[in-house]
Amino acid sequence: MHFSEDNLRDALKRKDPGEGFTQRVMARVDQAKAEGTRQAATKKVNGKFLSWWMHRPAWAVAVVAMLLLACGIGGYQYSEYRHAEEMRIARAKQQQLQQEAERARDQAIMALEIARAKMNHVLQHAQLQAQPNDKIRRQRL
Amino acid sequence: MNLATCKLTRILVGMVLCFSALRGYGQDAKLQLANLDKLSEKAARVTDVTLDGSLLQFAVNMIEKADADDKDVEQLQSIIRNLKGIYIKSFEFDETSQYSKGDVDAIRSQLTSPRWSKIVQSMEKRRNEYDEIYVLKDGGKVGGVVILVAEPRELTVVNLVGEVPMDKVASLERHLAPGEKQPDKPKHKEGERP
Repeated sequence: MHFSEDNLRDALKRKDPGEGFTQRVMARVDQAKAEGTRQAATKKVNGKFLSWWMHRPAWAVAVVAMLLLACGIGGYQYSEYRHAEEMRIARAKQQQLQQEAERARDQAIMALEIARAKMNHVLQHAQLQAQPNDKIRRQRL
Repeated sequence: MNLATCKLTRILVGMVLCFSALRGYGQDAKLQLANLDKLSEKAARVTDVTLDGSLLQFAVNMIEKADADDKDVEQLQSIIRNLKGIYIKSFEFDETSQYSKGDVDAIRSQLTSPRWSKIVQSMEKRRNEYDEIYVLKDGGKVGGVVILVAEPRELTVVNLVGEVPMDKVASLERHLAPGEKQPDKPKHKEGERP
Protein backbone atom coordinates (compact mmCIF):
# COMPACT_ATOMS: atom_id res chain seq x y z
CA MET A 1 0.00 0.00 0.00
CA HIS A 2 1.40 3.35 -0.88
CA PHE A 3 0.84 6.48 1.20
CA SER A 4 1.41 9.81 -0.33
CA GLU A 5 2.60 12.80 1.62
CA ASP A 6 -0.85 14.32 1.42
CA ASN A 7 -2.38 11.24 2.99
CA LEU A 8 0.00 11.41 5.89
CA ARG A 9 -0.53 15.11 6.38
CA ASP A 10 -4.25 14.60 6.32
CA ALA A 11 -4.05 11.79 8.84
CA LEU A 12 -1.81 13.68 11.24
CA LYS A 13 -3.53 17.00 11.11
CA ARG A 14 -4.94 18.45 14.33
CA LYS A 15 -8.49 17.36 15.20
CA ASP A 16 -10.90 18.96 17.59
CA PRO A 17 -11.72 16.56 20.50
CA GLY A 18 -15.16 18.03 20.89
CA GLU A 19 -16.84 19.84 23.72
CA GLY A 20 -16.41 18.59 27.34
CA PHE A 21 -13.26 16.65 26.59
CA THR A 22 -11.54 17.87 29.72
CA GLN A 23 -14.53 17.00 31.92
CA ARG A 24 -14.68 13.50 30.48
CA VAL A 25 -11.01 12.92 31.09
CA MET A 26 -11.25 14.24 34.66
CA ALA A 27 -14.28 12.07 35.37
CA ARG A 28 -12.38 8.99 34.21
CA VAL A 29 -9.47 9.90 36.41
CA ASP A 30 -11.71 10.29 39.49
CA GLN A 31 -13.40 6.95 38.83
CA ALA A 32 -10.05 5.13 38.58
CA LYS A 33 -8.92 6.76 41.82
CA ALA A 34 -12.03 5.65 43.70
CA GLU A 35 -11.70 2.03 42.55
CA GLY A 36 -8.08 1.91 43.59
CA THR A 37 -8.87 3.23 47.06
CA ARG A 38 -11.60 0.61 47.62
CA GLN A 39 -9.36 -2.34 46.67
CA ALA A 40 -6.58 -1.04 48.81
CA ALA A 41 -8.92 -0.70 51.81
CA THR A 42 -10.08 -4.35 51.53
CA LYS A 43 -6.55 -5.60 51.24
CA LYS A 44 -5.61 -3.52 54.22
CA VAL A 45 -8.39 -5.00 56.39
CA ASN A 46 -7.50 -8.62 55.50
CA GLY A 47 -3.91 -7.98 56.04
CA LYS A 48 -4.61 -6.37 59.39
CA PHE A 49 -6.69 -9.33 60.60
CA LEU A 50 -4.11 -11.89 59.59
CA SER A 51 -1.23 -9.87 60.81
CA TRP A 52 -2.95 -9.50 64.24
CA TRP A 53 -3.01 -13.29 64.59
CA MET A 54 0.44 -13.67 63.06
CA HIS A 55 1.85 -11.40 65.72
CA ARG A 56 0.03 -13.27 68.55
CA PRO A 57 0.65 -17.03 68.01
CA ALA A 58 -0.13 -17.85 71.63
CA TRP A 59 -3.57 -16.40 71.23
CA ALA A 60 -4.09 -18.38 68.04
CA VAL A 61 -3.03 -21.62 69.71
CA ALA A 62 -5.25 -20.85 72.71
CA VAL A 63 -8.28 -20.24 70.52
CA VAL A 64 -7.66 -23.43 68.53
CA ALA A 65 -7.16 -25.36 71.78
CA MET A 66 -10.40 -23.91 73.18
CA LEU A 67 -12.28 -24.94 70.08
CA LEU A 68 -10.84 -28.45 70.21
CA LEU A 69 -11.64 -28.71 73.94
CA ALA A 70 -15.21 -27.56 73.36
CA CYS A 71 -15.63 -30.10 70.57
CA GLY A 72 -14.13 -32.83 72.76
CA ILE A 73 -16.35 -32.04 75.74
CA GLY A 74 -19.40 -31.86 73.50
CA GLY A 75 -18.55 -35.20 71.89
CA TYR A 76 -17.89 -36.85 75.24
CA GLN A 77 -21.15 -35.56 76.68
CA TYR A 78 -23.03 -36.76 73.63
CA SER A 79 -21.46 -40.23 73.84
CA GLU A 80 -22.26 -40.35 77.58
CA TYR A 81 -25.85 -39.40 76.83
CA ARG A 82 -26.06 -42.06 74.14
CA HIS A 83 -24.59 -44.66 76.49
CA ALA A 84 -27.01 -43.72 79.28
CA GLU A 85 -29.90 -43.88 76.81
CA GLU A 86 -28.83 -47.31 75.56
CA MET A 87 -28.49 -48.53 79.13
CA ARG A 88 -31.95 -47.21 79.97
CA ILE A 89 -33.47 -48.96 76.95
CA ALA A 90 -31.64 -52.21 77.81
CA ARG A 91 -32.85 -52.01 81.42
CA ALA A 92 -36.42 -51.38 80.28
CA LYS A 93 -36.18 -54.33 77.88
CA GLN A 94 -34.79 -56.57 80.59
CA GLN A 95 -37.56 -55.51 82.95
CA GLN A 96 -40.13 -56.21 80.27
CA LEU A 97 -38.61 -59.65 79.63
CA GLN A 98 -38.63 -60.35 83.35
CA GLN A 99 -42.29 -59.40 83.58
CA GLU A 100 -43.09 -61.54 80.55
CA ALA A 101 -41.21 -64.47 82.07
CA GLU A 102 -43.09 -64.06 85.35
CA ARG A 103 -46.38 -63.97 83.50
CA ALA A 104 -45.37 -67.07 81.54
CA ARG A 105 -44.40 -68.85 84.78
CA ASP A 106 -47.76 -67.98 86.36
CA GLN A 107 -49.55 -69.19 83.25
CA ALA A 108 -47.56 -72.44 83.26
CA ILE A 109 -48.35 -73.03 86.92
CA MET A 110 -52.01 -72.26 86.34
CA ALA A 111 -52.06 -74.57 83.29
CA LEU A 112 -50.48 -77.45 85.19
CA GLU A 113 -52.86 -76.86 88.07
CA ILE A 114 -55.80 -77.10 85.65
CA ALA A 115 -54.26 -80.21 84.06
CA ARG A 116 -53.89 -81.78 87.50
CA ALA A 117 -57.42 -80.89 88.53
CA LYS A 118 -58.96 -82.18 85.31
CA MET A 119 -56.87 -85.35 85.26
CA ASN A 120 -57.88 -86.17 88.82
CA HIS A 121 -61.48 -85.27 88.02
CA VAL A 122 -61.56 -87.74 85.10
CA LEU A 123 -59.77 -90.43 87.10
CA GLN A 124 -62.17 -89.97 90.01
CA HIS A 125 -65.18 -90.22 87.71
CA ALA A 126 -63.75 -93.34 86.10
CA GLN A 127 -63.12 -94.85 89.53
CA LEU A 128 -66.64 -94.03 90.72
CA GLN A 129 -68.06 -95.66 87.62
CA ALA A 130 -65.94 -98.75 88.14
CA GLN A 131 -67.03 -99.20 91.76
CA PRO A 132 -70.73 -100.15 91.16
CA ASN A 133 -69.64 -102.60 88.44
CA ASP A 134 -67.26 -104.23 90.91
CA LYS A 135 -70.08 -104.55 93.43
CA ILE A 136 -72.35 -106.20 90.85
CA ARG A 137 -69.55 -108.53 89.83
CA ARG A 138 -68.90 -109.47 93.44
CA GLN A 139 -72.64 -110.07 94.05
CA ARG A 140 -72.81 -112.33 90.99
CA LEU A 141 -69.82 -114.31 92.23
CA MET B 1 -48.31 -96.78 28.19
CA ASN B 2 -44.93 -98.41 27.82
CA LEU B 3 -43.12 -100.42 30.53
CA ALA B 4 -40.81 -97.58 31.67
CA THR B 5 -43.70 -95.17 32.18
CA CYS B 6 -45.62 -97.80 34.08
CA LYS B 7 -42.64 -98.43 36.40
CA LEU B 8 -42.12 -94.71 36.96
CA THR B 9 -45.81 -94.24 37.83
CA ARG B 10 -45.61 -97.11 40.35
CA ILE B 11 -42.52 -95.59 41.96
CA LEU B 12 -44.18 -92.18 42.21
CA VAL B 13 -47.35 -93.63 43.74
CA GLY B 14 -45.22 -95.59 46.22
CA MET B 15 -43.31 -92.48 47.20
CA VAL B 16 -46.51 -90.51 47.71
CA LEU B 17 -47.93 -93.29 49.91
CA CYS B 18 -44.69 -93.47 51.92
CA PHE B 19 -44.66 -89.73 52.47
CA SER B 20 -48.28 -89.62 53.55
CA ALA B 21 -47.68 -92.51 55.95
CA LEU B 22 -44.63 -90.78 57.38
CA ARG B 23 -46.62 -87.59 57.73
CA GLY B 24 -49.27 -89.46 59.67
CA TYR B 25 -46.66 -91.05 61.88
CA GLY B 26 -44.93 -87.77 62.54
CA GLN B 27 -48.21 -86.21 63.60
CA ASP B 28 -47.72 -83.60 66.22
CA ALA B 29 -49.21 -83.98 69.66
CA LYS B 30 -50.60 -80.48 69.36
CA LEU B 31 -54.32 -80.36 68.64
CA GLN B 32 -56.15 -77.78 66.59
CA LEU B 33 -58.46 -76.13 69.09
CA ALA B 34 -59.36 -73.04 67.09
CA ASN B 35 -62.84 -74.41 66.37
CA LEU B 36 -63.71 -73.93 70.06
CA ASP B 37 -63.02 -70.19 70.04
CA LYS B 38 -66.62 -69.47 69.02
CA LEU B 39 -67.77 -70.78 72.41
CA SER B 40 -66.10 -67.87 74.21
CA GLU B 41 -69.14 -65.68 73.60
CA LYS B 42 -71.55 -68.13 75.23
CA ALA B 43 -69.32 -69.12 78.14
CA ALA B 44 -69.54 -67.53 81.57
CA ARG B 45 -65.92 -68.31 82.28
CA VAL B 46 -63.19 -68.93 79.76
CA THR B 47 -59.68 -70.13 80.45
CA ASP B 48 -57.43 -70.02 77.44
CA VAL B 49 -53.77 -70.89 77.88
CA THR B 50 -51.30 -71.07 75.03
CA LEU B 51 -47.76 -71.61 76.17
CA ASP B 52 -45.14 -72.77 73.72
CA GLY B 53 -41.86 -71.77 72.13
CA SER B 54 -40.02 -68.92 73.74
CA LEU B 55 -42.82 -68.19 76.19
CA LEU B 56 -42.69 -71.69 77.62
CA GLN B 57 -38.91 -71.44 77.72
CA PHE B 58 -39.26 -68.24 79.76
CA ALA B 59 -41.53 -70.07 82.17
CA VAL B 60 -39.15 -73.04 82.37
CA ASN B 61 -36.21 -70.73 83.07
CA MET B 62 -38.15 -68.90 85.77
CA ILE B 63 -39.20 -72.14 87.42
CA GLU B 64 -35.68 -73.56 87.11
CA LYS B 65 -34.35 -70.48 88.88
CA ALA B 66 -36.74 -70.99 91.78
CA ASP B 67 -35.69 -72.63 95.02
CA ALA B 68 -34.95 -76.24 94.09
CA ASP B 69 -35.03 -77.33 97.75
CA ASP B 70 -38.80 -76.84 97.77
CA LYS B 71 -40.40 -80.21 97.02
CA ASP B 72 -43.28 -78.67 95.05
CA VAL B 73 -40.93 -76.62 92.93
CA GLU B 74 -38.77 -79.66 92.29
CA GLN B 75 -41.79 -81.62 91.14
CA LEU B 76 -42.91 -78.75 88.95
CA GLN B 77 -39.45 -78.48 87.43
CA SER B 78 -39.40 -82.18 86.60
CA ILE B 79 -42.77 -81.86 84.84
CA ILE B 80 -42.20 -78.71 82.89
CA ARG B 81 -38.61 -79.42 81.84
CA ASN B 82 -39.57 -81.73 78.96
CA LEU B 83 -42.79 -80.06 77.89
CA LYS B 84 -42.93 -78.45 74.45
CA GLY B 85 -46.32 -76.84 74.73
CA ILE B 86 -49.29 -76.38 77.03
CA TYR B 87 -52.64 -75.58 75.46
CA ILE B 88 -55.84 -75.31 77.45
CA LYS B 89 -59.28 -74.23 76.48
CA SER B 90 -61.87 -74.38 79.18
CA PHE B 91 -65.40 -73.05 78.95
CA GLU B 92 -67.90 -72.96 81.77
CA PHE B 93 -71.49 -72.13 80.92
CA ASP B 94 -74.40 -70.91 82.99
CA GLU B 95 -76.81 -73.06 81.01
CA THR B 96 -76.63 -76.52 79.53
CA SER B 97 -76.28 -77.44 75.83
CA GLN B 98 -74.20 -74.46 74.92
CA TYR B 99 -71.79 -76.50 72.84
CA SER B 100 -72.58 -79.10 70.23
CA LYS B 101 -71.54 -82.73 69.83
CA GLY B 102 -69.75 -81.58 66.68
CA ASP B 103 -67.46 -79.35 68.75
CA VAL B 104 -66.36 -82.36 70.79
CA ASP B 105 -66.17 -84.63 67.78
CA ALA B 106 -63.84 -82.17 66.06
CA ILE B 107 -61.41 -82.76 68.94
CA ARG B 108 -61.96 -86.52 69.02
CA SER B 109 -61.39 -86.82 65.27
CA GLN B 110 -57.83 -85.56 65.80
CA LEU B 111 -57.21 -88.40 68.24
CA THR B 112 -58.06 -91.24 65.89
CA SER B 113 -54.48 -91.86 64.79
CA PRO B 114 -53.09 -95.19 66.04
CA ARG B 115 -50.45 -93.34 68.00
CA TRP B 116 -53.09 -91.90 70.27
CA SER B 117 -54.53 -94.21 72.92
CA LYS B 118 -57.53 -93.56 75.08
CA ILE B 119 -56.35 -94.61 78.50
CA VAL B 120 -59.28 -93.43 80.60
CA GLN B 121 -62.89 -92.97 79.65
CA SER B 122 -65.70 -92.05 81.97
CA MET B 123 -69.13 -91.88 80.44
CA GLU B 124 -72.27 -90.88 82.30
CA LYS B 125 -74.92 -90.83 79.60
CA ARG B 126 -77.79 -89.91 81.90
CA ARG B 127 -75.97 -86.80 83.02
CA ASN B 128 -74.40 -86.26 79.62
CA GLU B 129 -70.86 -86.38 80.97
CA TYR B 130 -68.01 -87.63 78.83
CA ASP B 131 -64.52 -87.48 80.30
CA GLU B 132 -61.54 -88.93 78.49
CA ILE B 133 -57.78 -89.03 78.72
CA TYR B 134 -55.66 -89.78 75.67
CA VAL B 135 -51.90 -90.26 75.47
CA LEU B 136 -49.64 -90.08 72.44
CA LYS B 137 -47.16 -92.93 72.34
CA ASP B 138 -43.70 -91.83 71.34
CA GLY B 139 -41.54 -94.92 71.47
CA GLY B 140 -41.65 -96.05 75.05
CA LYS B 141 -42.51 -92.59 76.32
CA VAL B 142 -45.58 -90.40 76.46
CA GLY B 143 -45.24 -87.75 73.76
CA GLY B 144 -48.40 -85.87 74.59
CA VAL B 145 -51.57 -85.94 76.66
CA VAL B 146 -55.10 -84.76 75.98
CA ILE B 147 -57.67 -84.49 78.75
CA LEU B 148 -61.17 -83.96 77.45
CA VAL B 149 -63.90 -83.04 79.89
CA ALA B 150 -67.27 -82.63 78.21
CA GLU B 151 -70.01 -82.03 80.76
CA PRO B 152 -73.37 -80.28 80.44
CA ARG B 153 -72.04 -76.95 81.68
CA GLU B 154 -68.38 -77.37 80.97
CA LEU B 155 -66.10 -78.16 78.08
CA THR B 156 -62.40 -78.41 78.81
CA VAL B 157 -59.57 -79.56 76.60
CA VAL B 158 -56.10 -79.81 78.12
CA ASN B 159 -53.36 -80.56 75.61
CA LEU B 160 -49.86 -81.14 76.95
CA VAL B 161 -47.22 -81.62 74.27
CA GLY B 162 -43.89 -83.26 75.00
CA GLU B 163 -42.75 -85.83 77.48
CA VAL B 164 -45.42 -85.78 80.17
CA PRO B 165 -44.87 -87.60 83.47
CA MET B 166 -48.55 -88.41 84.06
CA ASP B 167 -48.10 -89.62 87.63
CA LYS B 168 -46.33 -86.43 88.61
CA VAL B 169 -48.99 -84.23 87.01
CA ALA B 170 -51.74 -86.10 88.84
CA SER B 171 -49.95 -85.82 92.17
CA LEU B 172 -49.02 -82.15 91.87
CA GLU B 173 -49.60 -80.22 95.04
CA ARG B 174 -52.46 -77.77 94.99
CA HIS B 175 -50.40 -74.86 96.21
CA LEU B 176 -47.62 -74.77 93.66
CA ALA B 177 -46.49 -71.24 94.19
CA PRO B 178 -46.49 -70.27 97.85
CA GLY B 179 -47.84 -66.80 98.51
CA GLU B 180 -49.62 -66.66 95.19
CA LYS B 181 -53.31 -66.78 94.51
CA GLN B 182 -54.98 -70.08 93.73
CA PRO B 183 -54.34 -70.30 90.01
CA ASP B 184 -57.16 -72.54 88.83
CA LYS B 185 -59.87 -70.14 89.86
CA PRO B 186 -59.52 -67.19 87.55
CA LYS B 187 -62.01 -64.46 88.38
CA HIS B 188 -63.11 -63.93 84.82
CA LYS B 189 -62.07 -64.49 81.25
CA GLU B 190 -58.38 -65.21 81.05
CA GLY B 191 -56.29 -63.43 78.45
CA GLU B 192 -55.26 -65.51 75.50
CA ARG B 193 -51.55 -65.09 75.65
CA PRO B 194 -49.63 -63.54 78.49
